[in-house]
Amino acid sequence: MKALRKYRRLALGALVIAGLIVVPLNFNRYGLFILSQWAVMTIAAMGLNLTLGYAGQVSLAQGAFVGIGAYAAAIMTTQGMPLMAALGVAVVLCFAIGWLLGYPALRVQHHYLAFVTLAFSTLAFLVFRNEDWLTKGIYGISNIPRPTVFGVATNRPLPFYYLCLGSLGLVSVAMWWLIRSPWGRAFLALRENPIRALSLGIDTRRYTLMAFAIGSALGGIAGTLYAPLTQYIDPVPFNLSLSLDLLMMVIVGGAGFFFGPFLGAMIAVLLPEWLRFTEGYYLMLYAAAVIGLLIYSPSGILGILDRVLAERRSKAASALRAVAKSGFEAAP
Amino acid sequence: MTTVLEVTDIRKNFGGITAVDGVSFDVREGEILGLIGPNGCGKSTLFNCILGQLTPSGGEVKVDGKIVTGMRPSELNRLGVSRTFQLLQVFPKLSVRENLILAGQEHQGNMVSRLFGPSDAGLTEAADQMIGFFKLDHLAGLAAGGLSYGQQKLLDAAMAFMGGPRLVLLDEPAGGVNLTMLADLRERLAAINREKRATFVVIEHNMEFVMSLCSRVMVMAEGKVLAIGRPDEVRANPAVIDAYLGH
Repeated sequence: MKALRKYRRLALGALVIAGLIVVPLNFNRYGLFILSQWAVMTIAAMGLNLTLGYAGQVSLAQGAFVGIGAYAAAIMTTQGMPLMAALGVAVVLCFAIGWLLGYPALRVQHHYLAFVTLAFSTLAFLVFRNEDWLTKGIYGISNIPRPTVFGVATNRPLPFYYLCLGSLGLVSVAMWWLIRSPWGRAFLALRENPIRALSLGIDTRRYTLMAFAIGSALGGIAGTLYAPLTQYIDPVPFNLSLSLDLLMMVIVGGAGFFFGPFLGAMIAVLLPEWLRFTEGYYLMLYAAAVIGLLIYSPSGILGILDRVLAERRSKAASALRAVAKSGFEAAP
Repeated sequence: MTTVLEVTDIRKNFGGITAVDGVSFDVREGEILGLIGPNGCGKSTLFNCILGQLTPSGGEVKVDGKIVTGMRPSELNRLGVSRTFQLLQVFPKLSVRENLILAGQEHQGNMVSRLFGPSDAGLTEAADQMIGFFKLDHLAGLAAGGLSYGQQKLLDAAMAFMGGPRLVLLDEPAGGVNLTMLADLRERLAAINREKRATFVVIEHNMEFVMSLCSRVMVMAEGKVLAIGRPDEVRANPAVIDAYLGH
């Protein structure tokens, strides 16, 4: 039964991956742009899901890390350096800054921590806007080149989409491995009960800093792909609203669920496009749908699924206990 | 016998209130020390000072001769000092087995090996042994939050033993546990003490539980040690009868 369920899941996964590879072959330029954006935002949301969903640390700074990654890529690749070098710089920079940003989380929690990270987000935005010598300020950086990967140029939308999709695949495998490792369990313990976690030998300080650092590094990776995707960046996309969008992706999809960011990013990036036929009403409908969803299921879309499965498991366990009890009572 | 825990003149003040006032005692290897006293006498505060959850205002704590005063709970746990809490502290969304695996994982390897090494590293087997020892076999795959209060208390105690601790401090393990389960818990604790020479300090209000399990009993009142000795000595002590046990 378990094996059957496993094979069914693998088959479903293979089908979705095949769909993501084959279906976009017929997409136009704009459709491919939107799908690439979904892949990039999913990576950023996965980072926030690690910090917030698994480790329980609120952050309103994820958009700033996407910005740091994007500016690293834009500045370096327009100077003729390869995107891989920019990726390395972005990851190291975001990891280090994320680690430092984690220190306040050792002292403050919840909305106080949200304000600390919000302040960092504002600071990063001001650096992007005011430090013209580095970021070209409000004029932004244009003509950002797209890379050549294994001899394949990604200038056209389809190869670049595959680059984004491949990156999402690699990040997903790494994240799957991380959350199934003892680190993943420690992050969960940190979220669920930090006092008990401490008493079990879990170094909550180090894991808190790690959750911030890794989550921020994933934001940096997303930013490194965002810059060549849009081929022009300025400070505006990396203001607080991007952090709030990413937060919404994680919460709507289901914080602490592996596939939550995939679904959340799909809703945040694709749903507004699908609702465009409603013209001026689409943003209102979108907002109403999100409010309705969160009232019905505060744990997001995957929370609904989890609730249904938990109820089914609980019924099965009760039935098993009843059978065991009747057997026990019938025994001489 | 070796002294495992040595507490000297521990004091803890909260503003103008002295919760623990110059408490000194020691616990020898393989011993079960019961800690009793009326509510608010400073038992749990003393536990929290020993275990690094609170920083003592004065005094010294030694484990195996090493000064551990003010050390973080996670560091103390890795030194072999474990605990349970007065209120339930299991991870409700994780299964019984996962709770136990989590309780044991930080005692193996280091941060790097825990990330790059195998995710299990023999912990499932160790968890299953503990599940069998505490007779939780039929609940192993169920979420801890769905267990009865008594079953969660058993799990809480089992988690404290996953790292193979040298010293375990149990804060009211019998609180809210029904009589059948209480007998089970006492029997399991006695078995671990017998078989593994584990050393315990137990805070408990259930006198029968304390008197039948502990080799020595310490009585606290108003933040101070009122009496310490064998259970029968303590039971007969007029000061203890007057302050706590009653006639």
